[in-house]
Amino acid sequence: MSSTNRILEGIRVIAFTNAYAGPYAGRLLAQHGAEVIKVESRSGGLDTFRHFGKDLESSARFIECNLGVRSLTLNLKHPVGVQIIKDLSACSDAVLENFRPGVLTRLGLGEEELRQVNPGIIILRMPGLGEKGPKSWYGTWGFNLTAFSGMTSLWNHPGQERPIGSQGVYPDHLSFIMAPTLLVAALLRRRSSKRGVTIDLAQAEAMAYALGVSYLEMAVNGKAPQPQGNHDPVASPHGCYRCDGDDRWCVISIRTDQEWRKFCRVMGREELAESTQFSEQSARLKHASDLDGIVQEWTQLRSPESVMKELQAEGIAAGVVQDGAQLMKDPQLRHRSYFENFPSSSFGPMEIPRSALQFGGMTDDPLSLPSALGQDTDTILQDLLGYDEETIDEWRKEGVLS
Amino acid sequence: MDTPGGSLLSGYRVLDISTAMGAFCGKLLCDLGMEVIKVEPPGGDGLRREPPFAHGHTDSEGSLRFAYLNAGKRGITLDLTHPAGRDLFLDLLERVDIVLESSGPDHLETLNLSYSILTERQPKLIVVSLSGFGQGGPYSHFRSPDIVTTAMSGLLYVSGDPQLPPCMPPETQSYYYAGLYAAYGVMLALWRREEQGQGVYIDASVQASLAIHEHVAFTYSAEGRLVKRAGSQHQHVAPANLFRCQDGYISLFATHRHWPILLEVWEDHPEELDDPRWKTDTERRAHADWLNPLVESFTSRYKKDELAHLLQKRGIPGLPVNTPSEFQQDPHIQDREFFAPVTHPEIGTYQQPGVPFTVDGDRPGPAPAPTLGQHNQEVYGDELGLTQKEIDNLASKGLI
Repeated sequence: MSSTNRILEGIRVIAFTNAYAGPYAGRLLAQHGAEVIKVESRSGGLDTFRHFGKDLESSARFIECNLGVRSLTLNLKHPVGVQIIKDLSACSDAVLENFRPGVLTRLGLGEEELRQVNPGIIILRMPGLGEKGPKSWYGTWGFNLTAFSGMTSLWNHPGQERPIGSQGVYPDHLSFIMAPTLLVAALLRRRSSKRGVTIDLAQAEAMAYALGVSYLEMAVNGKAPQPQGNHDPVASPHGCYRCDGDDRWCVISIRTDQEWRKFCRVMGREELAESTQFSEQSARLKHASDLDGIVQEWTQLRSPESVMKELQAEGIAAGVVQDGAQLMKDPQLRHRSYFENFPSSSFGPMEIPRSALQFGGMTDDPLSLPSALGQDTDTILQDLLGYDEETIDEWRKEGVLS
Repeated sequence: MDTPGGSLLSGYRVLDISTAMGAFCGKLLCDLGMEVIKVEPPGGDGLRREPPFAHGHTDSEGSLRFAYLNAGKRGITLDLTHPAGRDLFLDLLERVDIVLESSGPDHLETLNLSYSILTERQPKLIVVSLSGFGQGGPYSHFRSPDIVTTAMSGLLYVSGDPQLPPCMPPETQSYYYAGLYAAYGVMLALWRREEQGQGVYIDASVQASLAIHEHVAFTYSAEGRLVKRAGSQHQHVAPANLFRCQDGYISLFATHRHWPILLEVWEDHPEELDDPRWKTDTERRAHADWLNPLVESFTSRYKKDELAHLLQKRGIPGLPVNTPSEFQQDPHIQDREFFAPVTHPEIGTYQQPGVPFTVDGDRPGPAPAPTLGQHNQEVYGDELGLTQKEIDNLASKGLI
């Protein structure tokens, strides 16, 4: 009986994945024991993130997103390349892909062809705007999808002239955590149905799915939701406050009158607790901006760490706005063995976040680095698919395996 | 037996005794086809008292936050702090696969419902505990509203205009994200249970869920570099930002592959942009402050949808910055029927976002959230087999 978290051992996934959402989804499966075979091609089919390093093997970001993943290089424009994928599909459980809609179908590796060789295969596609619909052909990145789905318009301080949103790619994160969930759900379903299914996860819709309260507000009240920044409808003070130091911030959130009285005591401002302007929550919400000024007068003389410790000790919600350096030494994350140390990756030494989950009674097996580009090609062709060395050599000469 | 369209996991049953933190996890499990029973204290879940409210509703049925995050679940009430309520909960367990909770470390123990007690009644049970920082460790007892977990995860530090304080994303994203993460844990636990016949306890941390975002920790570890707030400017690419149009803004993402094509579309671009030095992403990104206003002089000649279409036809990823209403009305989203009407007995009929996935082309249909105690009769009477008298008795004692 397995006592490690490699729960998916025995599951084989073919991954046509690029950049962030697709690869990370594959990594999350590999992390739990699935054999994830990533297919790339030196003839125009390399993962974009490979280009972020000094050579194809040493992109830190590629490594982060592809931990534990095996590598098969194959030219899919060659008919033998297509045949090899079909052979591999016959002995795999799932195909994971985040190409544009229709790419695999045009290569002769669409739903129908794959099901023909393996009726049980699960196909999980992650198109930006979905497989169908008038704009499904649009090229999208997480960055644009944030904007398209309404997230950018709502992610701002109130009353700003320009939209801000984020420098990042929130929809990628949503999609790469939902994809493995859907894939395992489909595997569970197959246990009884004996049939594979095709799942399309539309990344723009995943973003809107995580904005449902705003969408309901619009639908029910006919009112356009507005950016709320750091305000909260039921808590005050509630926000992000400047602390002592360069770009140092803390957050504080107070929901009850009792917490407010304690907070005033900690600040040494007991008189505020008695003031009618602030004594009750409704009054504090009304005077939130005055209150924010008062809170900041107190926080700006302190480090965010001391604010957090002092307030949390009193049962008041507070935290440090942590940057990357602080995350790396965060004692809580360390307590959870959150970082996996890779002292000698091809990029150099680095630590990589592993998982938010801990399973009772199971140990976390160490993660492994991604295979080098094409490293597993021969093993897969010989041991798994049973081709002889001579054939493989010939294909290599013809450029099938590049 | 075949399952209804789009439903992957019908047949599994969840007791959702979670708070605001776990509500979205329960929703996803529900959207995957599981039967999720929301167990509320007799006075109602805390979310029922949280805005926004439907116009004209101030009672427990008007919270749109509750209505969305519990859409599709069944609803019962039960006082878990009372011994009789606790006994009833244990009786319910016999037909349950998963218990979802989010009330913090020791909560189950306080209720005398620790994992070992629960598994005595249901040996194959999966329990998922969602908490701000995890069940153990120095911060595990910290208060953890969404703003605290977002701050502690690193996402807040990198969000917003650098001239302004860090800016929270809308709604309670850290709870949502951790909920999705925890749902993956549930899938893994179910797979293991089907293979090995064992349940498991899952400890999911909101902070740890969100701390993978935007490579914040990892970039420092690998490169020794701090990711900072940069407004809407992408870290590595330019022009990758929001640019003004006649009727709003467009989100443009143009890498070295797209740059030469962008110059073709922008026929009268300044000559200096033809300089080969601008061909690399690094060079354009390094001078983004200079480049962006030039690009905006081009984008501002167009309407945002028109420009997005024009650029997309040439293979350049551009999409409009939509308000929620513009997204909903986009012909593409309409065509995909992502939104669909649901009818709630108190709030009425409205368009609700659907699930973001289809299964063999079918999208599971949306359903409304339960009213308070809506399924008490069905669950306690029809399924657990209590007599009407017993149910009335529980109600009169305020237990359900």
